Amino acid sequence: MDFTNLASQLNAGVILPESTVVITLLVVLVSDLLYGRASARWTPYFAIAGLLVAFGLLCLQWDQPNTLAFLGSFNADNLSIVFRSIIALSSAVTILMSVRYVDQAGSAIGEFMSILLSATVGGMFLSGAEELVMIFVSLETLSIASYLMTGYMKRDPRSNEAALKYLLIGASSSAIFLYGLSLLYGLSGGKTHLADIALALGNGTENTLALVIALVFVIAGVSFKIAAVPFHQWTPDVYEGSPTPVVAFLSVGSKAAGFALAIRLLTDAFPALIEQWHFIFTALAILSMILGNVVAIAQTSMKRMLAYSSIAQAGFVMIGMVVGTEAGYASMVFYLMIYLFMNLGAFACIILFALRTGTDQISDYAGLYHKDPFLTLALSICLLSLGGIPPLAGFFGKLYLFWAAWQAGAYGLVLLGLITSVVSIYYYIRVVKMMVVKEPQEMSEVIKNYPVISWQPFGMRPLQVGVFLTLISTSLAGILSNPLFTLVNHSVADVPMLQGHPLVARNAAEKARSPLAVVGFPINAQDKS
Amino acid sequence: MNLAEGVQFVSFIILAVLVIGAALGVVLFDKIVYSAFLLGGVFISIAGIYLLQNADFVAAAQILVYVGAINVLILFAIMLVNKKENYAPIPRRWIRKGSAAAVSIGLFVLLSIMLTRTHWSVDLSVASPALPIETIGEHLFSDYLLPFELASVLLLMALIGAVVLARREEIEGETTAIVGELPAPALELPERPREPVA
Amino acid sequence: MNPGIDLQQRFIETLTDFGLSDGISKLIWMPVPMLLMIFGATVGVLVSVWLERKISAAAQQRIGPEFIGPLGILAPVADGMKLVFKEDVVPANSDPWLFTLGPALVVIPVFLSYLIVPFGENLLVSNVGLGIFLWIAFSSIVPIGLLMSGYSSNNKYALLGGLRAAAQSISYEIPLALAVLAIVMMSNSLSTVEIVEKQAGYGILGWNVWRQPFGFILFWISALAECERIPFDLPEAEEELVAGYQTEYSGMKFALFYLGSYVNLVLSALLVAVLYFGGWELPIPIETLADLLHIPQDNAILQVVDASLGITMTLLKAYFFLFLAILLRWTVPRVRIDQLLDLGWKFLLPVGLANLLITAGLKLTLPFAFGG
Repeated sequence: MDFTNLASQLNAGVILPESTVVITLLVVLVSDLLYGRASARWTPYFAIAGLLVAFGLLCLQWDQPNTLAFLGSFNADNLSIVFRSIIALSSAVTILMSVRYVDQAGSAIGEFMSILLSATVGGMFLSGAEELVMIFVSLETLSIASYLMTGYMKRDPRSNEAALKYLLIGASSSAIFLYGLSLLYGLSGGKTHLADIALALGNGTENTLALVIALVFVIAGVSFKIAAVPFHQWTPDVYEGSPTPVVAFLSVGSKAAGFALAIRLLTDAFPALIEQWHFIFTALAILSMILGNVVAIAQTSMKRMLAYSSIAQAGFVMIGMVVGTEAGYASMVFYLMIYLFMNLGAFACIILFALRTGTDQISDYAGLYHKDPFLTLALSICLLSLGGIPPLAGFFGKLYLFWAAWQAGAYGLVLLGLITSVVSIYYYIRVVKMMVVKEPQEMSEVIKNYPVISWQPFGMRPLQVGVFLTLISTSLAGILSNPLFTLVNHSVADVPMLQGHPLVARNAAEKARSPLAVVGFPINAQDKS
Repeated sequence: MNLAEGVQFVSFIILAVLVIGAALGVVLFDKIVYSAFLLGGVFISIAGIYLLQNADFVAAAQILVYVGAINVLILFAIMLVNKKENYAPIPRRWIRKGSAAAVSIGLFVLLSIMLTRTHWSVDLSVASPALPIETIGEHLFSDYLLPFELASVLLLMALIGAVVLARREEIEGETTAIVGELPAPALELPERPREPVA
Repeated sequence: MNPGIDLQQRFIETLTDFGLSDGISKLIWMPVPMLLMIFGATVGVLVSVWLERKISAAAQQRIGPEFIGPLGILAPVADGMKLVFKEDVVPANSDPWLFTLGPALVVIPVFLSYLIVPFGENLLVSNVGLGIFLWIAFSSIVPIGLLMSGYSSNNKYALLGGLRAAAQSISYEIPLALAVLAIVMMSNSLSTVEIVEKQAGYGILGWNVWRQPFGFILFWISALAECERIPFDLPEAEEELVAGYQTEYSGMKFALFYLGSYVNLVLSALLVAVLYFGGWELPIPIETLADLLHIPQDNAILQVVDASLGITMTLLKAYFFLFLAILLRWTVPRVRIDQLLDLGWKFLLPVGLANLLITAGLKLTLPFAFGG
């Protein structure tokens, strides 16, 4: 094998953003090693700068002609660029939030950021991975880093419990996922590239049982990552026990990576089983929307409530995936972009509240408006946006999602989505009402002892910047959503697997058929023509 | 069946029985040390199966990594933990055990049906490469280059994480706190724990 | 290079001459080299035990074993006989299964590793492609056996000794593997035969030790630690742990540990000779000698002489390193456990990595000398 020739074929330039993040990671690590805790003054800013540079490089790579790199292991098409940007930005905002949080807990920020950055690298590679080995290695990078961050507050039994739970459930779901991948490898006769696998599997008429088992196992692994019901059991406990910035990253960055994996793996490798996986995801979406929204009502802890809310939000996003049209995928990506800002904004606010008061009980928020109007405003806007109140960003996200689903004929899903959205508005508004409406005499004990607002202590400024940025994005992204629409439409139009596929068109035509009849139903060869 | 095939067949049967028996032992033994040692047995027997398939490098790597590193680590963990805790016996534990067994057997039956029914498109005409190690090396540095390099990030991060979890923290304030006062909680979540629901 | 003597072919030919079929001849041949190797290794152990006692005595200005056979040469045999006839005690409250399995698990991998030790070009049990990697893999099984015997003895000294032994064994395996990796990189092969052949042609000047001086030192230190020799005999440090994981053992099971440790030592010495000191090669290449004496290369006597010289050279080199190890025992004090782990992880590991990196660089810049 000629290695000089090989080097030119690698097209290694497309992983420049990831390389930037890796270099940032190394610099943070080495400076932490050399200068100790003194380096904590500037390494967070350096890490954010590195992530922003990576984001800038991603923007520069938009619409590049040659997207396949590393002999087909990695695909840097526009879709992956959108997902990688979401992950990089969520990581940057997470670092803004975590400086004060980690410092106040007496923990070291250097190692925390190293682990967070490697999780980011894993997530970014996962968004563009086109090959089974690459998918698995990047998924594990993301997962193991997440387990470590979950247990970062190691003297807290809640954190230990969360880490152990996450690790055990995550390891078994990885094992199931890997079993599914190995079935794919065997069924395709030893192929690892997704496109080759799809080619080798043909139209899915033979080996239906094995294919369906592979599909179910793969979906089980993916659903764990995006916390879809019934693979959500870890979510509330892990979200409650983890350091809050980690929860923010898990609920946005990690989830976005999971969706990127789901889109790429399912559309690229399983075009033959499109009806089956659409059916499974429909079921997952329905369950997630209902369970997430209904159980969130009963929560007393803010973190737990947001955990269930994030399950429900994943359900909404899945609607975009199962309708299978170009608009569906575009709306899904769009919603994830909006979700990035509003969810991170909500987490930034509850981190700020927890750092000042040491609690995250919903009842303790009562009367916050009288003591800290800015925090109240920011949290209210983020929560209302999550609920989908116009004219905030979340409203447009949901509007686009439901419109795309309606166009594709998924009336039932849209109706369910609307109903559960109303339910979700109830519990979001409850918090807002608690903060705003209560009279001064109804204030909670915590609020009565609310400290003087000061942005001076170490690490408060980045948190303030984080709250501001997400607040502005959440309020303006809705109004200025047109450029974002164009962006996501463009990114989806770029991917051949997501549109123009004969099966997709056929699927839309056959939508009227009951989804139940589809499961395990072998697709006929005549059907295809 | 000539001599070589006969030897291979017999070794396969022996190894298969060893793998399954040891794996059942891992699951069923009450004493965790036995489980851990038998896990080593499972790993070694699987290495034997690799060897039968002419994958000698994978077999040796399996022994080196799984037996030499992972299993020894597990044993270390078991032997260093010196906590005796008598758990209250769970009432109707047999229901849990029974349902777990039922689920496992069901899965096993399903997968066995799948295995026998599936036509595996395996190309047997491909000769095994003359130099397996060099072939593996070429793959690692050409089409599997990216995962190979990403694995280094993964290992680095795992290393950092292990150090973070294992090191003994010297917390400021813990030694300087005023006598009689509790030091500020360190390495704990700032949020108060919830009151347990009565 | 002449291929030397192919014993296998000769043996099978002889058997077929007696009228046996080809398959049966092969079947009869199969266990012969293995049994020969086990026998050879055991004799090697007897010799090294005798050497150990004699050299230790000399180091302390004593005489050592004297009356059992000429120069006390039968003393190790007597030791062995005594151990065989001793009662096999299994302590109360111990775990009899693990207690019995432990010593076997310690000894078997060591004997298996003799598969790859070459005494001549065709004088080894199996020239597998994995070669030296197989040895590293096999030696990683040993800690399991040590933990097993330490745990099952139901004795705190044994448990601590077992844990220490396993920790030490894992720690020093990494520098050992790194040192071997540098050699493999230079030889472009894992096979021990090829590693020796790459050193051939220039006599003593071609040996790897000149190109890998740090690698050699690294390897030797790590090999001593793997064999639990003084100064690294922490697991059985008698002042602290009575006899470590061997405390509760007696009779034949103790003999297995005893045998295993010496077999391992001889194996390490043999591998040092193979990896760094040209294996069966003479300091002056035998071809040069033959040319000087005007003997043709295909002379039958030359081939026999070559083969026996090969075995002799390998053994001579190996026993030289054995001698060094015994001498070290009486000249270097034992390290502490923290010093031991520090040395392994904080010194040998970085040195090993740097050595590997430098070797890779030299391989690229000076391909004629470093096997590019």
